[in-house]
Amino acid sequence: MFTDNSSRRHFLGQASMGLGLAALGSLGGNLFAAPAAAPGQSGPHFPAKAKRVIFLCMAGGPSHLETFDFKPRLRELHGKPMPAEFTKGQPIAQLQGKALNCFGPQTGFKRHGKSGTEISDFLPHIASIADDITVVRSMVTEQINHDPAHTFLNCGTILPGRPSMGSWVTYGLGTANANLPSFVVLTSKSSQGVQPIGNRQWSAGFLPGRCQGVEFQSKGAPVHYVANPDGISRGDQAEAMQALGELNRMRQAQIHDAELETRIEQYELAFRMQMSVPELTDLSQEPQTVLDEYGAKPGDGSFASNCLLARRLAERGVRFIHLYHRGWDFHGGLVSGMKESCAKTDKPTAALIRDLKRRGLLEDTLIVWGGEFGRTPMAQGDGRDHHIKGYSMFMAGGGFKPGITYGATDELGYHAVENIVNVRDLHATLLKQLGLDHQRLSYRFQGLDVKLTGVKPARVVKEILA
Amino acid sequence: MQKSSYLMLIALVVAACARGPESKHKPVSYNHDIRPILADNCFGCHGSDLNKAEGKLSLMDFAHATSPRKDEPPAIIPGKPEQSLLVERIRDADDPMPPEDSHKTLTAQQKELLTRWIAEGARYEKHWAYELPRGSATPAVKDAGWPLSFPDNYLLERLESEGIKPAPEADRATLCRRLYQDLLGLPPTPEQLDAFLADQRPDAYERLVDQLLASPHHAERLATYWFDLVRYSDTVGLHGDQEHKAALYRDWVIASFLKNMPHDHFIQWQLGGDLIEGLSPEERNDALIASCYNRLIMTTHEGGAQPKEYTALYMADRVRNTSLAFMGASMGCCQCHDHKYDPYTAKDFYALGSVFADIDDLAHLKNQYRPQNNREVTLREPEMDLLSPLDRQRQAGLTAAAATEQNPERQKALLAEAGAIKPRTVMVSKASAPREVRFLPRGNWMDDSGPVMSPEVPRFLGSFAKLGVKDRRANRLDFGRWLTAPDAQGGCGELTARVWVNRLWCLFYGQGLCPSVDDLGGQGEICNHPELLDRLALEFVAGGWDNRKFIRMLVTSRAYRMSSVAAPAVMEKDPRNLLFARQGRWRLTAEHIRDTALAASGLLVSDIGGPTCRPYQPEGYYQHLQFPDRTYHADKDAKQWKRGVYVHWQRMFVHPMLKAFDAPSREDSCPRRGVTNTPLGALTVLNDPSFTEAARVLAGNALKAGGDDEARCRFILRRCLSRPAAEAEIKVLLKLLAGARKSFAARPAEAAKLLAVGLAPLDRSLPASELAAFTQVARVALNLHETITRD
Repeated sequence: MFTDNSSRRHFLGQASMGLGLAALGSLGGNLFAAPAAAPGQSGPHFPAKAKRVIFLCMAGGPSHLETFDFKPRLRELHGKPMPAEFTKGQPIAQLQGKALNCFGPQTGFKRHGKSGTEISDFLPHIASIADDITVVRSMVTEQINHDPAHTFLNCGTILPGRPSMGSWVTYGLGTANANLPSFVVLTSKSSQGVQPIGNRQWSAGFLPGRCQGVEFQSKGAPVHYVANPDGISRGDQAEAMQALGELNRMRQAQIHDAELETRIEQYELAFRMQMSVPELTDLSQEPQTVLDEYGAKPGDGSFASNCLLARRLAERGVRFIHLYHRGWDFHGGLVSGMKESCAKTDKPTAALIRDLKRRGLLEDTLIVWGGEFGRTPMAQGDGRDHHIKGYSMFMAGGGFKPGITYGATDELGYHAVENIVNVRDLHATLLKQLGLDHQRLSYRFQGLDVKLTGVKPARVVKEILA
Repeated sequence: MQKSSYLMLIALVVAACARGPESKHKPVSYNHDIRPILADNCFGCHGSDLNKAEGKLSLMDFAHATSPRKDEPPAIIPGKPEQSLLVERIRDADDPMPPEDSHKTLTAQQKELLTRWIAEGARYEKHWAYELPRGSATPAVKDAGWPLSFPDNYLLERLESEGIKPAPEADRATLCRRLYQDLLGLPPTPEQLDAFLADQRPDAYERLVDQLLASPHHAERLATYWFDLVRYSDTVGLHGDQEHKAALYRDWVIASFLKNMPHDHFIQWQLGGDLIEGLSPEERNDALIASCYNRLIMTTHEGGAQPKEYTALYMADRVRNTSLAFMGASMGCCQCHDHKYDPYTAKDFYALGSVFADIDDLAHLKNQYRPQNNREVTLREPEMDLLSPLDRQRQAGLTAAAATEQNPERQKALLAEAGAIKPRTVMVSKASAPREVRFLPRGNWMDDSGPVMSPEVPRFLGSFAKLGVKDRRANRLDFGRWLTAPDAQGGCGELTARVWVNRLWCLFYGQGLCPSVDDLGGQGEICNHPELLDRLALEFVAGGWDNRKFIRMLVTSRAYRMSSVAAPAVMEKDPRNLLFARQGRWRLTAEHIRDTALAASGLLVSDIGGPTCRPYQPEGYYQHLQFPDRTYHADKDAKQWKRGVYVHWQRMFVHPMLKAFDAPSREDSCPRRGVTNTPLGALTVLNDPSFTEAARVLAGNALKAGGDDEARCRFILRRCLSRPAAEAEIKVLLKLLAGARKSFAARPAEAAKLLAVGLAPLDRSLPASELAAFTQVARVALNLHETITRD
């Protein structure tokens, strides 16, 4: 209903008149890419350093104070009241109205690599690639509860119905592999009690549906409905597709409808995808040494397996690979929780970066590691509450300057005070590396040229780019 | 460009304009020609907010654009483009406007239009959507025999002026299928189609229209669209996305469309049903259910949510929705600042928000997730146990039947069934002492410095005082009345009607008379038929906001009956069908694709209303939903085969079948869905068990219908396409059938697996390999483009 395929119909109309059938064929060959002219999209705005992004989304809000931001002064004040000048008038989540006491770092920190990057003892494997990563210790965000903070991190706003980064990137660059979705979401099997996430986080919002993130399942069919119905063999399916194509073409001979032309192509590609997706997700083809390096067991749905799958997706040209690991929300039991989550994520993260580097993929793959916010320097029992005024993330590859640490929080790790990077700056910088200008990547929606970075100022953080 | 040469160019343009009445140019129209240019390129920096406007220059209105500013001459000197700074700057190659960093450029034609407009006096006009609709006389047309009703005259006059011939009438089978799809959201059964084709009476078409308009399925069809506007869903949409109790509201909307409730009352009841006095007990019951509308916002039950922040967010949600759903306006922009393109201000936003201040939103936040109350986290006052109006009708029907039933056993059963119909729980609105609503500077909920706001409508559109609300605080019902009362009584009813009739037009023609059906504001698209749209709005109001009468008029016109096949020249000239020289053609909505498969197979359970239904869904789809962890249980009874409008709507994880065909999340109002054509859609109809089950049931019905292979293939195709199959089509299906027969005869275990898909009973008397083979034929038929397309 209400279809407005005008631009693509019009475009195809022109194509069939002006460009001939060859052009039509090549247009139809794009599976998730626009078979149509995408309004406002013009490909990269300038030469790109990175061709794809792997976003290791550490959902729940990992503590910066036990990962990348060492605060000896906080240790000295451990158990003492948090100086009021830090917290006065600040938004606070679950600690509203409670006593605010300092909570020192719960693990040791050491300097690593030639760069001497300070990394906590919870992350020995990431520490081993310290010279390959770019740590930002001065992140700030605007949202203090999980759901809106995720939405803000992924979509740049908490207004509903807005596209996520992966969708924007797909919209801006199109696809490099016509037989796979351009934006893939992988979520690792989670333990009990983790924070929920919704598919708003990989929604195309008002952008064309082809920009939607496609979630690969770790159980059952890797993509919804990619497997034939029970009892239908590949041969049966092929014969049905053959008949379907013939009947659709007979209809097309009568009505000459661009939408029907696209439908025919999409069915053919869906059929091919029924082959390519299971092949792609079958990790048993990987050598044991690689599986061991990641700590992956085929079919276990772990973060480690997803990291390995991310590499396979990156190799096949998927633009945006969004890995979710949920389990960083330690209001209590911080030490045991951090140990468990780091054990699940530290080794595969380092393995992924090393593996990409070995294969020459790291230079044009942009890795981002981080969550929706950090944790309070104040104690919440034996844990920490949500914190938005200063936290850490790291990047690797994709033209980022490796082996540096950028920005700083104050002596207690509360406020980012030096070289502050807000979420919009992060978006602008990621887009820049992909060859996209955040001020020009826009889409007309309800009368507005909407951008990922919105209307407030956003800055490309040139200092962390090589 | 050198200054001298651009002055010369201006002189030429001015001379061209000054040629007087014989000039071939029509005068430049601000609304049609100029506003789109300024809005796209200039208002972003030179909008209405002078504090924000670059160089303190606003181009939004005549007074500001033509006044001198500090140290600067006026941007526009009416009649004197050569002295106007605006013209100088748009032609200045070295320092152009718009500036380079805006990434916007004006075309030569746009520059010329701006120059001519200034030469002609730079007349501004109020944006058309804020002017009262104007009546007009039905235009005369050359082909006077073509029009059947007044919209035809408006459309044909335009087509004749463009030299375009309207498409011929579609054949009767297509018309029949079109009416069923548009009015019911279902294809006709072969029997229904045959009945229409056999009906030789001159008014057979109108009779069919009347029959369909009275069908409960028509009410379901309109309700499906309404739910996109008001973002109806079964869950809260944030954090744990828990369920909330709204299903009775769904019944009420369907019941209201079924009884053709006047649309102005329909709106008023939703906003303020709980505030209406003097209703009968039954009406009171229904009006309370209607007031569930105010509770359809997204809510959170996340620990640590700040009450002040979320009460502000909930209020904003309501203002955003009411403005989009009823007013076709994007007031959401004004949460942080005055609207850059429309006269809505941030003050308007908070004043309108204050209308809803009597809804106790803090009650939501008292229920944060705790393991011990996990199932009931969204339950909160006010909720009431009320009887669905549809249930009430059913109950009355059963009781009446029992009264005349002679057989005591059957009578007892009827009474028992009637007695089993019980009230269900629904969220309602209830006026409490209004909370204080402050103007929030930049939308910042932590900033208490803004003034306290009283309820008010957007000031440029009127006031509650004009509506007669004086000496008391205006409430939600007053707002509903203001939206629907005519201008003469202090309301903006004609404007509200115009937004709605444009959307109705879009439902039946595939394109609005103003194409931006979501937003008729300053950034909306140009309205291609302003006189017709105005006339329709006025007729709708004069006709008593009667949806059924209005829709009848829309679908009995000549234009509605045109073929959707466009002549190549028309396709080239008007690819978007803005001029309506043909009918639209579009893929069915997600829900109607489901309904079509169920109806074609014979599985459809056509009970009206009732609880939410849960079709088969891939396992683990809700694995990311926590607080509490969710396991989806597909229905094991007849609910499995109810229409799409009843499918459980999980905002954070909309059913993958619906999502693959662009169903919105219902987080926000969605007056117009996108339509995508992706492999995910193809995979869904190919492999989703709901469709496989429909195919095997359709195949079984074909086998039972008898006849040879060809007859059975014809049976299947006709149920999907509502037309007889061509010889060539049958040949393709027979070939498929032969291959499938061989395949399944050799693999009986596989045939059994295929036939085990879905809960629908399997007729064991039918030979399994035959049934499996015909299931393949039916799968193909259900997947055809034509099956899921409205022609």
